[in-house]
Amino acid sequence: MQVPATRPEAQPVSLAALFVAFLKVSLCGFGGGLVWARRTVVDRERWLDDEEFADTLSLCQFLPGPNIIGIAVCVGARLRGAAGAIAAAAGFILIPGAIGFGLGALFLQHAYLPILQGVLGGVSAAAAGLLIATGLRLLLPHRTRPAALLCAALAFAGMTLVKLPLLVVLLGVLPISFAAAAIEGARA
Amino acid sequence: MNGQSAALALTAHLALLSSISFGGIPSVLPDIRNFVVTANGWVTDQEFANYFAIVQAIPGPNMILMMSFIGLKVWGLPGAAASALATFGPPCMMYFAAFRLWDRFREARWQRIARRGLAPVTIGLVVAGGVVMARTADTDWALLAVTIAAAAVFLATRINPLWTLAAGAALGALGVL
Repeated sequence: MQVPATRPEAQPVSLAALFVAFLKVSLCGFGGGLVWARRTVVDRERWLDDEEFADTLSLCQFLPGPNIIGIAVCVGARLRGAAGAIAAAAGFILIPGAIGFGLGALFLQHAYLPILQGVLGGVSAAAAGLLIATGLRLLLPHRTRPAALLCAALAFAGMTLVKLPLLVVLLGVLPISFAAAAIEGARA
Repeated sequence: MNGQSAALALTAHLALLSSISFGGIPSVLPDIRNFVVTANGWVTDQEFANYFAIVQAIPGPNMILMMSFIGLKVWGLPGAAASALATFGPPCMMYFAAFRLWDRFREARWQRIARRGLAPVTIGLVVAGGVVMARTADTDWALLAVTIAAAAVFLATRINPLWTLAAGAALGALGVL
């Protein structure tokens, strides 16, 4: 077995290290940002162990917003408080955002070219499929919970079939979902 | 509405939506599309689909980039910056506040119930976001087939999604789609 390898408490992680680590996560993370976040935080830097990382991820998953940035904020906050959170989030957003913005704006100027239209159409179709599949994969751990499947289906139908505003869907479905989870919790 | 007031309305709307975007920004894409394409006509359907496609092909914070392209169209660079800030600002503050709370109540039972209750709704919204994008992107059967194939490959294999996106791009470049 591996010796539990966590950071030596005597040496606080530097803000620059947090910035650079999440800068790399951001630049590497085509689609699979989570893979890179875990690899950097757990395997390479050993700032958190796997359990702490999973814990952080579930916290981020049940909050609104871009989840990977949430991981940056939480890891930064854990290691260096508010300054750490800002350093990690800034590393994730600033430079990659500027590079991506420049590249994207360049693309957009030539978006009328037929070949680029073809490329964008193909990428867009594939990306929509990936998004649907990501949702389905997230559903797997809940497949034995009928109430969960029903709530997922209700939220899906509310958005795509009935086309309700998001707030209405959340206010309508969340109480049912929370009640079901509380009942399941009481039974367990 | 002129550029500046449109940008203000857009920023306020994005700040609200990012604050309720459980499951990530994709879960509020249908609502954003409604606001900027259908309700206000700031960007066309085609442009919205282009933004979505472009940010998939770029590394980095892709949903923040997508919102900044919408902001760019509405009010140039200041609009882009405001949209980006509205997309990540409120969630970042919530992440930080929640981390503090979470740390304090690590063992509490409500944490588990909240997680289990939110997850299915979150997931339903993510899938809905994908279907809404597919409706915009899949203008013919070949494109629909690409969407279905991409989903199937992702579910059935561990192939890096980058290859799937590249395959879509290649098919599009060759004029097959």
